[in-house]
Amino acid sequence: MRKRFHRLVFCAFCSILIATTASAAQAPKHGGILNATLIEAPPSFSIHEEVTISTVWPMMPCYNNLVIFDPLKKQESLETIIPELAEKWTLQDGGKSLVFFLRKDVKWHDGQPFTSKDVKHTFDTVREAPGITAKLRVNPRQLWYENVESIDASTPDAVVFRLKRPESSLLLMLASGYSPIYPAHIPVSELRSKCVGTGPFKLKEYRQGELIEMVKNPDYFIKGRPYLDGIRYTIIKDRSTRYAALQAGRQDIPFIWEVARMPAEAAKRAVPKLVMIESSTNVNDHILVNLTKPLFKDPKLRLAITLAVDRQGYVQAGRQGAAILGGVMLPRPYGAWGLPEAEQKKIPGFGDPVKQKADAKKLLAELGYGPSKPLKIAVSTRAIPIYVDIAGYIMDQFRQVGIQSTLEQVETGVWHAKMTRREFDVAVSATGIGPDDPDANLYENFKCGSPRNYSAYCSDEVDRMIEQQSQTLERDKRLKLVNEIDKRLQLDGARMMLGWSKEYVAMWPYVKNVVPHQSIYNYGRMQEVWLDK
Amino acid sequence: MKAIRFFRQKPLGAVGGAVILALVLTATFADSLATYDPIRTDAEHTLARPTRSHWLGTDNLGRDIYSRIVYGARVSLMVGLGATLLGAALGAVIGLFSGYLGGWIDLFAQRLMEILQGLPLLILALVMSAALKPSIGNVIVAISVPIVPMAERVIRGSVLAIRELAYIEGARALGVGHFTIAMRHILPNAIGPFIVLTTAQFGSAILVEAALSFLGLGVPEPWPSWGRMLSISAAEFAQKAPWVVVFPGAAISLVVFASNLLGDALRDTLDPRLRRTHI
Amino acid sequence: MLVYIVQRVLTALVTLFGMSVLIFVLLRLVPGDIVDIIFSSAGFVNPAAKVELARELGLDRPIALQYVRWLEELAEGNLGKSYRYDVPAWQVVKPRLPVTLELAILAILIAVVLGVFTGVLSAARQDSALDYALSLLSLAGLSMPSFWLGMMIILFLVSWAGWIPSMVYVSPREDLRAHLLQFVFPALAVGYRGSALIMRITRSSMLEVLGEDYIRTARAKGQREWPVIFGHALRNAILPIITVIGFEFAFMIGGLVVTETVFNLPGVARYLVDAILWRDYPVAQNLVMLIGVAVVVVNLSVDLLYGWLDPRIRYGAT
Repeated sequence: MRKRFHRLVFCAFCSILIATTASAAQAPKHGGILNATLIEAPPSFSIHEEVTISTVWPMMPCYNNLVIFDPLKKQESLETIIPELAEKWTLQDGGKSLVFFLRKDVKWHDGQPFTSKDVKHTFDTVREAPGITAKLRVNPRQLWYENVESIDASTPDAVVFRLKRPESSLLLMLASGYSPIYPAHIPVSELRSKCVGTGPFKLKEYRQGELIEMVKNPDYFIKGRPYLDGIRYTIIKDRSTRYAALQAGRQDIPFIWEVARMPAEAAKRAVPKLVMIESSTNVNDHILVNLTKPLFKDPKLRLAITLAVDRQGYVQAGRQGAAILGGVMLPRPYGAWGLPEAEQKKIPGFGDPVKQKADAKKLLAELGYGPSKPLKIAVSTRAIPIYVDIAGYIMDQFRQVGIQSTLEQVETGVWHAKMTRREFDVAVSATGIGPDDPDANLYENFKCGSPRNYSAYCSDEVDRMIEQQSQTLERDKRLKLVNEIDKRLQLDGARMMLGWSKEYVAMWPYVKNVVPHQSIYNYGRMQEVWLDK
Repeated sequence: MKAIRFFRQKPLGAVGGAVILALVLTATFADSLATYDPIRTDAEHTLARPTRSHWLGTDNLGRDIYSRIVYGARVSLMVGLGATLLGAALGAVIGLFSGYLGGWIDLFAQRLMEILQGLPLLILALVMSAALKPSIGNVIVAISVPIVPMAERVIRGSVLAIRELAYIEGARALGVGHFTIAMRHILPNAIGPFIVLTTAQFGSAILVEAALSFLGLGVPEPWPSWGRMLSISAAEFAQKAPWVVVFPGAAISLVVFASNLLGDALRDTLDPRLRRTHI
Repeated sequence: MLVYIVQRVLTALVTLFGMSVLIFVLLRLVPGDIVDIIFSSAGFVNPAAKVELARELGLDRPIALQYVRWLEELAEGNLGKSYRYDVPAWQVVKPRLPVTLELAILAILIAVVLGVFTGVLSAARQDSALDYALSLLSLAGLSMPSFWLGMMIILFLVSWAGWIPSMVYVSPREDLRAHLLQFVFPALAVGYRGSALIMRITRSSMLEVLGEDYIRTARAKGQREWPVIFGHALRNAILPIITVIGFEFAFMIGGLVVTETVFNLPGVARYLVDAILWRDYPVAQNLVMLIGVAVVVVNLSVDLLYGWLDPRIRYGAT
């Protein structure tokens, strides 16, 4: 209580100060421990082997990339990419070689020098280059580097990515939180339970399932960084406890992927001085239809399913207004590649809900389904409240057109395994995408044979279009192609898009320089974060 | 007559009985009592406060909370009654055999019961419902398992006490079959403690379902279960829309409270050893 | 007496053996194993690594052999490796044990103090308004889902005081006050529930004792009432109370699972749920066995204590 009062007095003082000195930017202060929040223990610490923000968020401070999206700029794009381990980079050979010139003053946390060997080791491992011995246990993003022919590290302070064909997306993907540089001298398997990076923070202690404690790296190659003395990531499993902890000041910032608008607003109402930032997440909600099952091979049936769901209703009921409608790529203004709104509205499912439901009923009747012989399907979803809620909404939408469904709640642990093995009829799911980039999204989620292409959608033509857009360096032309693909994927029912969730980050005002980006996966470095206490 | 005397002597027990009766009636006539379809979502009216059209407000999907509670009574009754009866029946059969036959069978059954008792109720239910697929039937089975040893103990105790009595031996001598003896003489004597046990377990089964829901393994959608209404997204909306949590919480607590009151009153009436407690 | 103890210990061992078989088989009935889960984070799976991991964890062997291996390891005092965290299971379990133990002891303490106190008070003022009120209050504790009670305590604390207990475990040496504050609220939530049964048993056995002649005599001799109640009556009512404490113990562990989750305490009970959901067999199995042993030991000691306190009970074969 007393501490809180002090804080109050102090803040009052601050605001006077701010008022008198006009809006002169404050000089960052050094020191302090940031109390950050996690909702679950990371499945492992190895970013290259995981697909969850629960790993990326607490492990980013330990590592560096070659390049990174400027943490202080909200909107990520090619223009906001700044140097990290690479001081500068150039495209050569007509766009077929990407050359990075590396810093020479960088040391790993264990004191070993950082060289181009480490970069080569990292990306040769991820792309499973022939002859490489280090193997990832699971490799979710191998397809990101499909266009890399070879990586040349013949000089210690430069590395060359030789490409099969020109590609503008590679740099964006390298700037994602999913692309840290791993040390070549440590086996990949050891990085699952510890971290040895070059980053601004070192792992101090891991109390399994409870706490990840990071401490400032005194030898960090950027002088004067990080500002913080350390970060404590506390794992709080219960949602209401999490928000109580934030309100009570036990936590300084929430887990960035809370997406929930209600509790953030409630927290702000209870503690008005909390700062609330609205942002997109680059995570989309969608319905997956298992295309390996004969029943769903009929496009008419798929059309009926997608027409049944009122998208505006999903935004209101499923996400309490905290979502935007869109297609396969993050919609504008948050994203750069989204389908224009007018086009998106023409996609079946995004039109007038009453008329669409009537159409869906008619289609089902044509297929021989009706009140006496209803279509029966199983809906699978993860046993996480938000998914169960959205699934509950979707199932009621189905019911309104005469589709009977039962819910299968799948524990998070076995969820991806079931999806990969295609043990489902229809699933309500969500997918996060690292950077807002067509290559990062399309290869992983829609290419024939990709393990994360859960619906098992496969079209040679779309695959060709994906290749083509990847090679198109002229932005406008590429955008047109991407929009074309977006429409095709939606019309084919590769994924029935619902929308893109938004997040509401409520944090204490003394936390400075935590700037939520449009994607949650790329701003966890914490190098610039400081506490105004 | 007996009932009237019970009500006069045990007013709190009678209140408990009335609440349970109300639960049964609500569950039976849910179709006519509900004002809305309990799983019908309404995106226009999410988290609406209680009004004349939505008596207890709506939840985050715009579903009518009153109607969900009414239908939830059905789920709670099914889970509570189903789990208790299943557990009690299994326990009774095992208890009857092991008490009546004795010997190796008894020894084996006793160890089995000790095993089930040694594991905490919630842990056992948790593993069971993780092992079985989540469905209302499996939740009932999972919750019933820990009830088995309790019921078994009650019945076996009665059997042991009665087996030695002279008139049983007399009946045996007259050539009356085992089954008849069990039905005629043993079961009626055990019925009192048995009713007490099931009444008390009814409430606790409902609570276990709620705890399983909290851990994500309760009765799945689209069944409106009180436990899930209280635990799934309730926490998220508790501050903004308290009615989302207050009413299902009140429903659970009321029914469990009533089952405890009734259980206590019945214990006093039917179980002579504890006759002197008043509620 | 000695014969009885030996007999009881032997049957307890049989029970524990049965428990080990039950939990072992049940856990393996749960669909999916840890190898599946680890390799399910989606992506190109390295099949060799998957097979290798299954072999390393011994999951490729027949179930019976896995079981024997587990018992062998247990006999060696080896709790195996936590699949989930890739460290020895003991390393994860060890810091969590004192947390749950402290919470359990504190909760039982609260339950006993609260239960006995209200029970005695109720019995002494039989059929008064106070008696009714206390009985209803204690029953109310039994009627609330425990996670709900915990959640309400936290919501109340944060909206009333703008404060909640620490979210990270604070050791008593670090900060005793914070440590106690961290434990007292969850212990209250669990203890309140536990007190209901103790209260009722205390009340009814007190009523029985209060009716006995010697108490009446003591009262008639003009001894002050409360000393009589606490001195004579409670001493005689202690037996059933001890029985109930033993009985409550196994039940309480279940309550700890959700309470530890709500108050974010890093105890074994909550960890056990995680282990089950993650199919972390070594941790789940061993923790369940640990709880089983604790329950058996508590029950055994209650039995012995009972006999020690009440010489009328003779130890015969059961």
